[in-house]
Amino acid sequence: MNIENYISSGIIEQYVMGLCSAEEKNELELLRHKDAVLNKAIINFEIEFEQRMMRNAFLPGVQTDDKILASLQALGTPVVSINTNTKKTTKFSWVKIAAAASVLLFAVSAFFNYTQYEKNKAQAAELAAKNNLPQSLPVANYSILKDPNITPVAMMGVGYHAICRCTMFWDKKTGKAYVMIHHLVPSGDNNEYQLWANVNGKQVSVGMINDAIRDRFIEVSGVPEGSKEFIVTMEKNGGATVPDADVVLKGTV
Amino acid sequence: MSQAITYTEDTLVAALRNHNNDAYKHLYVHYRGALYSIITQFIADTEIANDVLQDVFVAVWKNIDKYDETKGRLFTWLHTLTRNTTINTTRSKNYKSQQKNDTIEDFVYTLDLNDTHQQNINTIGLRKQVHLLREDYKNVLELSYYNGFTQEEIAKALDIPIGTVKTRLRNALIELRKQFV
Repeated sequence: MNIENYISSGIIEQYVMGLCSAEEKNELELLRHKDAVLNKAIINFEIEFEQRMMRNAFLPGVQTDDKILASLQALGTPVVSINTNTKKTTKFSWVKIAAAASVLLFAVSAFFNYTQYEKNKAQAAELAAKNNLPQSLPVANYSILKDPNITPVAMMGVGYHAICRCTMFWDKKTGKAYVMIHHLVPSGDNNEYQLWANVNGKQVSVGMINDAIRDRFIEVSGVPEGSKEFIVTMEKNGGATVPDADVVLKGTV
Repeated sequence: MSQAITYTEDTLVAALRNHNNDAYKHLYVHYRGALYSIITQFIADTEIANDVLQDVFVAVWKNIDKYDETKGRLFTWLHTLTRNTTINTTRSKNYKSQQKNDTIEDFVYTLDLNDTHQQNINTIGLRKQVHLLREDYKNVLELSYYNGFTQEEIAKALDIPIGTVKTRLRNALIELRKQFV
């Protein structure tokens, strides 16, 4: 399939506006996870459509506002049991569950990284010998996983990119970081992923990430001191000076 | 003094899933205008439009766990929810009985595209742009977007092959998008 023709066929507009048949919808959702250009084209039209609708917004009356806000507030009011024999009614906290799940996911991810390394050590050494991959970490340095000076940062997919995952191991002493890709949509020939550090509210480019490298750490250097958060965006080859608004991955230190 | 919370789409969705009141207020204040303008493209009666807007936000509260961010932005989901809720309302018996000029017996197959009650609705927005398209594009978009017809239903209603429906629909949307700029 020629993806450019597919993108310009009108299917994206049809999908975003909810006018696809079930088959068309399934096909597009399958393809978008395999093709970053298509995925980006969909997101671009979603943003364009949203902006178009926001520009032409007009407001209901104040009485309607009050009525709807009151009804939403009523929905959110916890029901307190009047039976004094029962335990205190507590609201189910999805945030806490999500936080616990994130910690668990990260622990599993870190464990997976390590065991995966041990398992593929010989294979990785062979690969490293075959392919000259300057960005990827020499096998001998995989011991970073055990280094107590390393700060691990779980990089989670943002919005549409929820399926994407990376783990970054930041050595604050040396300013180096080692990125392990778990899943990234292929960036294609004209684009590549760029890592950014948030320093005092400013996004500073740390370097490019070659998404073709798997099962090995990608080494980046010059990670700024005091970075509070890292993001990954997809940019045109060579990188950008400011990150694209469409953040693919985000991780907080 | 309380400090206003600023949300990114991710933090807003997380807070909505936690049924946080402040998040729903933020959602309402931020999106009510855009969603209301969608509803009023379908429904001229202000009172009914207001009720539909309320139904939409209650539906968000009840169904937020069904929102899947891997399949679309929050607004795209809100748009679909709003459009579906509105179409369901216009298809209800109560709504039809309230429309003085509505003489449609069989809503699915005998729709009059120039139905008089639709002349009163908000035509400032998207629908006006749809009406600027050539006739065959306008007709498929009216049936598809504004009446929720499937492609098969459109083919039957207009007595044209389904392949033609697909082609016209996609071309119509490409033309419509050009007017967004």
